[in-house]
Parts: sequence; C-alpha cells; structure tokens
Amino acid sequence: MERLNLEQLARLVDERPTPDERAVLEGDPALRRELKELRSQTEALGNLPAVLPPPGGWHDLEKKLQAEGLIFGGRDTGRPWRKWLQAAAALVIFVGGTAFGWVTGSAPAGQASADVGTEPASFASLDEATAAVHDATRQYLAAYGGWRQLISAQGQQRRTRDPTVYLAGIETLMAASRAAVEEAPDDRFLNEMYVRVVAEREQIIRQASSDWR
Amino acid sequence: MLRRERSAHSNPCRRARQPGSGDIEAQLIRRACEGDGRAVRALYDRYSPRVYAVVRRIAGDDDLAEDYAQEAWIRAIRALPSFRGEARFSTWLHRIAVNSALQAVRKEKTRRKREAPLPDVIPVPPRMGDTLMQRKLEEALAQLPDGMRKVLILHDVEGYTHEEIGTALGVTSGTSKSQLFKARAKMRRMLRGYENETHLKEIEAWSV
Repeated sequence: MERLNLEQLARLVDERPTPDERAVLEGDPALRRELKELRSQTEALGNLPAVLPPPGGWHDLEKKLQAEGLIFGGRDTGRPWRKWLQAAAALVIFVGGTAFGWVTGSAPAGQASADVGTEPASFASLDEATAAVHDATRQYLAAYGGWRQLISAQGQQRRTRDPTVYLAGIETLMAASRAAVEEAPDDRFLNEMYVRVVAEREQIIRQASSDWR
Repeated sequence: MLRRERSAHSNPCRRARQPGSGDIEAQLIRRACEGDGRAVRALYDRYSPRVYAVVRRIAGDDDLAEDYAQEAWIRAIRALPSFRGEARFSTWLHRIAVNSALQAVRKEKTRRKREAPLPDVIPVPPRMGDTLMQRKLEEALAQLPDGMRKVLILHDVEGYTHEEIGTALGVTSGTSKSQLFKARAKMRRMLRGYENETHLKEIEAWSV
C-alpha cells in the first residue's frame, strides 16, 4: 500500500485500520496528524450546539395547532403577554379611575378604584385585550388631562396628590408596559403606551425634584 | 374546533410513559396529548432549540428551517397519542423532526427543479454568538453537496447509525458509509483551507 487518501483516513475515524493501513500510518507522521485532525473534526461536529429558533415561532405554531384542533384555546394557553396585557389594562383602569375620582372629587381615590374594579379583566383574545387597554388609556389620559387643568386653575390644590403613591403607580405601569413590549415588540400601540408612561414618569420626577428644592 | 377528548381507559395519552425522565415531563406529555396548549408550550420551550438545530442543518436555509421546524412540531403533536414511551420523548421527537425535514427537503427540491435549476449547495448564514470554530463548521457543512450533508449531519452531528440513515434516506448502509467518508474528507479540505487562511492572516498581522 502506497499512501492513504483522505477518504480512507475518514473511514479510520471510527473503524479499525487493516494491518496494511496500520503499517502505512506508523510510517507516516503527517498521515497520523491528519487522522487526528479528522477525529477532532468529527468530535467538534458532535458537539455543535442547539440553535434557538427565531422569536415568534411559538405564536405561529400555536395558531396552526389551534386551527387543527390539536390544542384547545381559551384563556391563557401559554401566552404570557396576555397576563401582562391584562395587568396593564387593570392598572390603567385603576390609575384612570383614581385620577377620575380626584378630578370629580366624587369619591376618595381608593373607592374610585374599587368602583372601576381592581380585579384584572379577562379577555378572550389579544384584540379584545388590546382594545380594553386602549380604551382605558384613553379614559385615563382624558381624566388626567382634566385633572391637570383643574390643578393649574386651582394652584393651591397642587399638593393634594401624594407624589410618592402616584410615582409608584407609574413605576408599576411602566414595568407592565415594558413587559408587554418585550412580549410583543412590534406592537405599535404597546410601544406608544410604554413611551408615554416613561415620559410621564420623567415629568413626575422632574416636577417632584423642583417641588422639593 | 376539534378537541381531543377520550375516556381514561381508552385514552392513548394516558399510556405514555417516560423511561428515565421525571414525572413532570410525563405529565406534560399526557397533558399535551390531551390538547393542553400550556403543556405543548412547555415542551416546545424545552426542545425547540434541538429540533430547530437539526432541521436547520438539514434544510440548509433559515427561512425553510422555520417552516420545517413548525411542520415537525405539528406532526409530533398529531402523533402524540401514538407515543408509547418506549424511547425517550426527546429521541422520539428528534426522529420526527429529522424525517419531517428530510421529506420537506425532498419536496422542496422537486418543486424547485420544476421551476428552475437548483444549485446543490445552499449556504446557511452563520448566527451571531457562535464560536469561530462552530461557525466555520456550520459554514463548511452548508457547502457540502446535499446528500453528503444529510449523511454527515445524521451520523456525526446527530449520532444515527448507518442502518438508521439508510432507512431515513432510502439508501443502503454502504451508500451511507461511502457518503460519510467523502463528506468528512471534503469538510477536512475546507477546514484545512480555513486553517491556512488563518495562519496567513496571523503572519500578515505579525509582519505589520
């Protein structure tokens, strides 16, 4: 036997050499090196890592499985963003209700929030949940706008709210909306909501620091 | 919407047993078999990287891999009532993914042949975060002709025997062996080229 070619060497990665092949290998250090490299290559291939599927894969799959009747739908079929949307909706309703209570002066904040419901609402679909968040945000912004007008008109009432409580509410809303954005990064409404909440938080902090100065 | 509802005594989902795996996984499988979306999600979270990896390497294309992986999961969930627990769930799922991907690749090839000539080599772009060697291996794998690539992936990456590869690909185990040795040799030539290239770059860097 003259020399082993690369394919013959590739066979020796997991097969025993014949006596002839062994003799050739023993007399040729370059071939032995090459066989060693082939073994390393095979080992490296066996250690290739798993690959994360692209994000959003589960949601597409879930739709297909539901369409085929392979999994049943209903509430909370493994969509964590639903929980966050529900939490965000509940929080917006809570804050909106509280602000509305302050504006109208019809009830203490706690009672107002109880009236609008502190239990997270349940939704049958993403569209329904998004619509609820949207409506609640609109109500909240309208109420909050009215409240601000009232405060600026009645200057002295400016300190009737507790900035710490309000800031805590905003912080929670920010966490909820950020989580919602992480779950649905392409959702325009959730992104806008997050940006608004961040901007509001900044303003509250600036206002509070100027008040304390 | 159809729903899998079966009485306990005739329910094949209840027969599934998991050798060597915890009760949690057995419960997940049973619940997934009964159509519980959360259980399917939990199994997906656990096994999707491995399923996606093998499907992507066989497909040699990211976009196709996504479709093939989804198809593999749908097949697996459909077939869950037939899972007897004789093999590990991961092994069972993996076989389904491989068979599904191989079948999809064959279909895609036929479809493309009808439409336009298909080059035998489909490059897979490397992913961020891979180590350099892994990236080079993935690149070299993607450069292999289709038949060689499948055999090499199934044997050296996934640990299939030549008999199993023969069954999966519809070839003899002798053909599988011969393809494997050619593939290893071709990979070695490509990686050797890469080593030389790296060595030259290092020399250039020192000479600057």
